Amino acid sequence: MKVKCYIQGIAAITPQHTFEGDIFAQPLESCSSNLLSVREPDYKAYIPANSLRRMSRMLKMGLTTAIKCLQDSGLGAPGAIVTGTGKGSLQDTERFLKDIRQYNERALNPTPFIQSTYNAVNGMIAVQQQCTTYNNTFVHRGFSFEHALLDSMLLLQEGTPHTLTGAFDEMTEEHCYIKSRIGMWKTEKVNSAQLYEHPSPGTIAGEGAVFFALSARATAQSYARIAGLQLFYKPQPGFLAAALPAFLQQQGLSPRDIDLVLTGRNADSNYAHFYQQLEAPLPGACQLPFKHLCGEYETAGAFATWLAAHILKAQQAPRQWFPMVPAFPERVERILLYNHFFGEQHVLMLLERAGAHGG
Amino acid sequence: MEELKKQLKAQIIEALNLQDIKPEDIEDNAPLFGEGLGLDSIDSLELMVLLERHYQIRVEDPREGRKILQSVQSMAEFIQSKQPA
Repeated sequence: MKVKCYIQGIAAITPQHTFEGDIFAQPLESCSSNLLSVREPDYKAYIPANSLRRMSRMLKMGLTTAIKCLQDSGLGAPGAIVTGTGKGSLQDTERFLKDIRQYNERALNPTPFIQSTYNAVNGMIAVQQQCTTYNNTFVHRGFSFEHALLDSMLLLQEGTPHTLTGAFDEMTEEHCYIKSRIGMWKTEKVNSAQLYEHPSPGTIAGEGAVFFALSARATAQSYARIAGLQLFYKPQPGFLAAALPAFLQQQGLSPRDIDLVLTGRNADSNYAHFYQQLEAPLPGACQLPFKHLCGEYETAGAFATWLAAHILKAQQAPRQWFPMVPAFPERVERILLYNHFFGEQHVLMLLERAGAHGG
Repeated sequence: MEELKKQLKAQIIEALNLQDIKPEDIEDNAPLFGEGLGLDSIDSLELMVLLERHYQIRVEDPREGRKILQSVQSMAEFIQSKQPA
């Protein structure tokens, strides 16, 4: 059965200039601190000042991205709100835990507790949009966004006209330090723009909020069609050799039908062997790595989906973001996305140009 | 009393993250909820926490809280009434 899932609207707050303006003209932003932080917009244009004062960074990012996405889609109130997050609002969680310790479990401020719950962003969106329909947040580490997407695709299949589907994660200084203690980040400081020239254990951290308005019907405005999605949990090291051809075959495609591969390569030598497996089944395919743009985090796959949707709609890539890629294909009908989160959660996703191939 | 009210206004602004408001903008008798500062029910919980953290006063009865949190003046009078003579 053909998956009917079209991206009708998108918005993203990320470490690059993705929220406003023409992304194809925006410069590549980089950092040398091993943490790519988002470029926050002026939230006052989207959220009333009286509501804004109580919101933490993650809530502001999530809600603003969701509002902008709905504006971009022109769809109005969503038929469902489905999101994924690996960590929720870390800032609120840390504040709440510190308060418990400092005030001996008494005199606890309610706001950070309320906002530290994973579904706080969804709740805010629902209140703001006065949307009382299906509302769900998936918290499954490196599968969080993909499960939100899978749930949305099922809802569309069952007749929900459109969904607001997104992902959000933030990184705090303290959490970054904790994760450094278990070897997630590189010990040496690396300029993110030269990430791939530094293969060594660990990678660089990132964060971002990305939302999509998904619909079962294509329009002239559609960015792309999400044509296939497959998840693999802790697969064997060589799994892609069989899994990738099988995934393509399931879509009625062969390797030469793939014009571009977006890869979650992140210069982490502990798990680089997974990405190296892409070469054999897809010989000569143009590969675009994206982790130098957004860093590594649980829902980085949403950033890649956002990027793929833009490339498919505009039929061009923001080339200035990929100085390491010598040549781009002239036409892009299909993009394959392969990403994994520290070798545990692996994702294959296929995106097609909307309107093409009978879509 | 005047010093207490001034201090209380600064603490309210900080605790509730009131944007673009200075202590002198808050009148002693202006209502904190509804018209005045336009605070809501979550803010009332935050103000209860403020009383406990800064003045070690725990308000057990919510009906009592409604009277105490009417204005800066009523909050200051309540704090003063609880302080040892």
